[in-house]
Amino acid sequence: MELFDHRPDPDAILEEIQTHRDQRPGRLKIFFGYAAGVGKTYAMLDDAQERLKSGIGVLVGYIEPHTRPETMQKLHGLPVLPPKTVSYRKMELKEFDLDKALELKPELILVDELAHTNAEGGRNKKRYQDIEELLGAGIDVYTTVNVQHMESLNDVIENITKVQVRETVPDYIFDRAEKIELVDIEPDELLRRLEGGKIYRSDRAETAMQNFFTQENLRLLREIALRCAADKISSENQSERSLSDKMANTKLLVCIGASPSSAKCIRWTARAAEAFHASWAALYVESTESEELTAQQQKTIRENLDLAEKLGAELVNLTGHDIAATVSEYAKLSGITNIVVGKSRNKKTLKNLFDMDFEDKLISLLPNIEIHIIPGSVAKRNYKKPRKKIKYDRFHFTWTDTVKTLSILGGATLLSFWLHKLNIMNQNIIMVYIFSVLLVSRMTEGYWYGIIASAVSVLTFNFFFTEPYFTLNAIQSGYPLTFVIMLLVALITSALTVRMKAEARLAVRREHRTEILYEINKKLLATRGLDRIVDLTNDYVVKLFERSVIFFTTDPEHGENGEVRQAADDIGSDVLNFADEKAVAHWVFLNQKRAGAGTDTLMGAAAFYMPLISQGKVLAVWGISCGKGNLDHNTRLFLRMIASQVAMALERQHLSDEQRNIMVESEKEKMRSTLLRAISHDLRTPLAGILGASSVIRENGKMLDENTQGSLIANIQEESQWLIRMVENLLSVTRLNEDASNLKKSPEAAEEVVGEAVSRIKRRFPQCKILVHVPEEFLEVPMDGTLIVQVLINLLENAIKYSPADSPIEVRLEREGTWARFEVMDRGRGIPNEDLPYLFTGYKPNESRSADSSRGMGIGLSICKTIVNAHQGNLEAENRKDGGTIFRFTLPLKGSE
Amino acid sequence: MDIKPVVLIIEDEEAICNFISAILISNDYQVIKAKTGKEGLSLFTSHVPDIILLDLGLPDIDGVEILKNIRQWSKTPVIVVSARGHEREKVAALDFGADDYIVKPFGTSELLARIRTAMRHSPQSATAEALGDEVFIVGKLEIDYNKRVVYKDGEKIHLTPIEYKLLVLLSKNAGKVLTHDFIIREIWGVYTDESHTLRVNMANIRRKIEENPGAPQYILTEMGVGYRMVEELEEG
Repeated sequence: MELFDHRPDPDAILEEIQTHRDQRPGRLKIFFGYAAGVGKTYAMLDDAQERLKSGIGVLVGYIEPHTRPETMQKLHGLPVLPPKTVSYRKMELKEFDLDKALELKPELILVDELAHTNAEGGRNKKRYQDIEELLGAGIDVYTTVNVQHMESLNDVIENITKVQVRETVPDYIFDRAEKIELVDIEPDELLRRLEGGKIYRSDRAETAMQNFFTQENLRLLREIALRCAADKISSENQSERSLSDKMANTKLLVCIGASPSSAKCIRWTARAAEAFHASWAALYVESTESEELTAQQQKTIRENLDLAEKLGAELVNLTGHDIAATVSEYAKLSGITNIVVGKSRNKKTLKNLFDMDFEDKLISLLPNIEIHIIPGSVAKRNYKKPRKKIKYDRFHFTWTDTVKTLSILGGATLLSFWLHKLNIMNQNIIMVYIFSVLLVSRMTEGYWYGIIASAVSVLTFNFFFTEPYFTLNAIQSGYPLTFVIMLLVALITSALTVRMKAEARLAVRREHRTEILYEINKKLLATRGLDRIVDLTNDYVVKLFERSVIFFTTDPEHGENGEVRQAADDIGSDVLNFADEKAVAHWVFLNQKRAGAGTDTLMGAAAFYMPLISQGKVLAVWGISCGKGNLDHNTRLFLRMIASQVAMALERQHLSDEQRNIMVESEKEKMRSTLLRAISHDLRTPLAGILGASSVIRENGKMLDENTQGSLIANIQEESQWLIRMVENLLSVTRLNEDASNLKKSPEAAEEVVGEAVSRIKRRFPQCKILVHVPEEFLEVPMDGTLIVQVLINLLENAIKYSPADSPIEVRLEREGTWARFEVMDRGRGIPNEDLPYLFTGYKPNESRSADSSRGMGIGLSICKTIVNAHQGNLEAENRKDGGTIFRFTLPLKGSE
Repeated sequence: MDIKPVVLIIEDEEAICNFISAILISNDYQVIKAKTGKEGLSLFTSHVPDIILLDLGLPDIDGVEILKNIRQWSKTPVIVVSARGHEREKVAALDFGADDYIVKPFGTSELLARIRTAMRHSPQSATAEALGDEVFIVGKLEIDYNKRVVYKDGEKIHLTPIEYKLLVLLSKNAGKVLTHDFIIREIWGVYTDESHTLRVNMANIRRKIEENPGAPQYILTEMGVGYRMVEELEEG
């Protein structure tokens, strides 16, 4: 039994492959404190020492260099990874060496300061991303973090301490931790430590005490930290229940705008959702005005959306003019129970006197939904101003619009004169002018021509049609009111038409997107084959965004090139297929996250990379060049929509490939077993003959006369020769079967191949007459020479076997267009017509004769067929009209090499 | 009395070894048999055979290694015995200095012919032959090295310089297989991929000297290995 032990256990191999593929992610333990100096690092090292003693491979990845001596002593005996030195603005910075850590792959790694921001030039912007990579590689991680670095508590802490913390960690990291160890001491004790210079050097301790380390701050921070840890524990305790609750109970919705205070709303909602164990969504309504947003505002929106996504929200993007109506529609449809909106106090414009407040509107539209109002910060006013300026900017003087306006107004005036002459009352003339204003608003760009037209029409009406005529005075008492009404009507109609137009434009754009998505989907459904899917998608991306695109269908771990489609005046394959870019794509494959330009990871890349994921597997990675600037939010969103379609198509392709492979495999299996059955039978017969003849000679040698002995030996020789031919054929088959697509083709001179086959046949059948015709032209055919020689030998052998001994056999080689045609012709008895269809299958159905009598009529031919097919050629047989058979096969002159 | 030529057979298959030695002994050769590579090498140094038959698939040492070892200090002709389908192995052996190869299974006459050829090309006889060799004649083909002219059926054939060089190279080594790489190195000098050019030239030569290029008599193709010029026309 022992003997078999060194053989690898197939299950073990499988397991190994499995672990290599989808590793168990590493476990994260966070040492959590409320301020610097509570002893997180100390506790972490202490724990690590314990683990080391119990035989676990521990590596200290990074410890802050300003750590206290007592803590440093704890490092004793632990292997430490030397930090990587990065030079940044002439400063030497020591950073955690992620690549080395991944390479060493310890069981447990210690990385201090989860919230740290990496120096520029590193792969990731933040240390928590490094840690995610470590976890992804199956390494357990210990890390430390203070409560003020929690993303969702950021604003709360800022309120308490008045210190803005820039280095934040998204909450999901916290949730991901398997264990949170709270490291806690009394604030008094902490202050004593600080005074004793144990936390900072004494000069810095002074400032720290004034700003941050006040007794009150520390107490509050401690409370938050304790509560945070308690929440985590309670949520773990109820984790099973909360899953089902999440669906039923509460669903929060936060409305995001371009205001920076939206971030506050988002954080609040995230915390609330966590407390309620509810799911939540972040909604951004694109309105007609969103086109007018400044770059700064667009950036804020993008940041807000990113923040929401980081905190675990579901992102929703809608378009509509009336934000409140859109929000309420969405809330009704998706079963939102709570809506969070931001509110600023500074809305004291004239318009607001008439307009209903957004939240009032919401309440009236959604009486059953709770609305939470989060007060905004003071920053609001700064942001309101530029918007007005934009409105001014929007007035563009164009000749066509001016001419249109003038002619419409002129026409209206002429019509009015005519009406005036007919003594039709002034009310009708007013109608004509209002109509003309409506026309102007409809036919020109923007508000301005409409407003000008309404003013002009009031003036003209006043000038021409009110008494006294041709003055701007109106005598009749009711006229001023008429003017005001006219002006208002003109303004409202013009505003309405403009809005209608804007909405129509938005609708058209939305429609266009939907249409494109639908079109892509339709085309993808009709597309088969990975290459074509890639081509199609690349075409669309280039057309839609006018940026170059690169598509990796396999992980470029070993430098495989991606499929590039270059857009006009954008970067091309030389940049996108550069090793650095491939490294980014490789990272995306491994980490299933977006990376590259405009993201937090590897932002130095030339393109924005996103994975196409289906069922937790990265099927491909897509890179969109950012040579023309980073992608805006809309583009990314649209890309993501397309990506999901493409991912589906890819997955379908993968499935169908897999299915086809299975079919091919089973087909091969069937062929193999048929062959094996036929062969084992065929081999037995000649072996029996050899064995019989040789044993007769050995045992009764002296009693046999010379003739009998000679014929017995001749039999042995014949049978052995047959066996050898058989084995050679089988060898050809194994050469093919290893991998039919991997056929080693090299250019060979066709005539040499014919010559080789003929000379070998002549050696075996010296008495036989073979006529060979080759063309004057030199034909070079890509092929596996040995196999094609085998085909020719089999065909020649058949021809010799089935034709009279004295009749000549012809071999002809010709060129036929882009094909080389080989023919073997005999003058034999031909093939019975009913056998022709089964000639190349190796066996005949309903074989009535005993199998012994036919010594494998077709194995040779079926092998020939397989070989020729593997060369993308074609083999066929036909009977000659004047007796005999032609076997003919063609090979492509220029094939894939 | 004649001294019988000594043949060393290095072959691990007993049946094949037996049958080869039976043929050779009955054809007046003296035979030494070795079953492993090590034994073969020690027998080679102690007996100094006139020719070696070397199987490439030995249990202890790779046949090519033995060949390299022998070629370090001896030019004794070596014929490699190998199975069909192992073209790369054969080419490697030829490039490392084997004189010829023979494919299993082979017939008696084929084996004897190869041994005779190899012996003729062995260093001792080659020097003697090279001096007087001014004309090469096989069948109806005649090459006059001095005049640099080729005749077929007594008629002069027009050849390009490269074609002539090729023909000379093959005829000087008649009976021996020359690998593609060897020919390319000899003719074109540099080690570039001229295999296409070689095939085209060979096709042209055949059209000029052979009756039927599809069934060549003078220059035979060894599929996947190289070319061989015959020493005497085969029957039939």
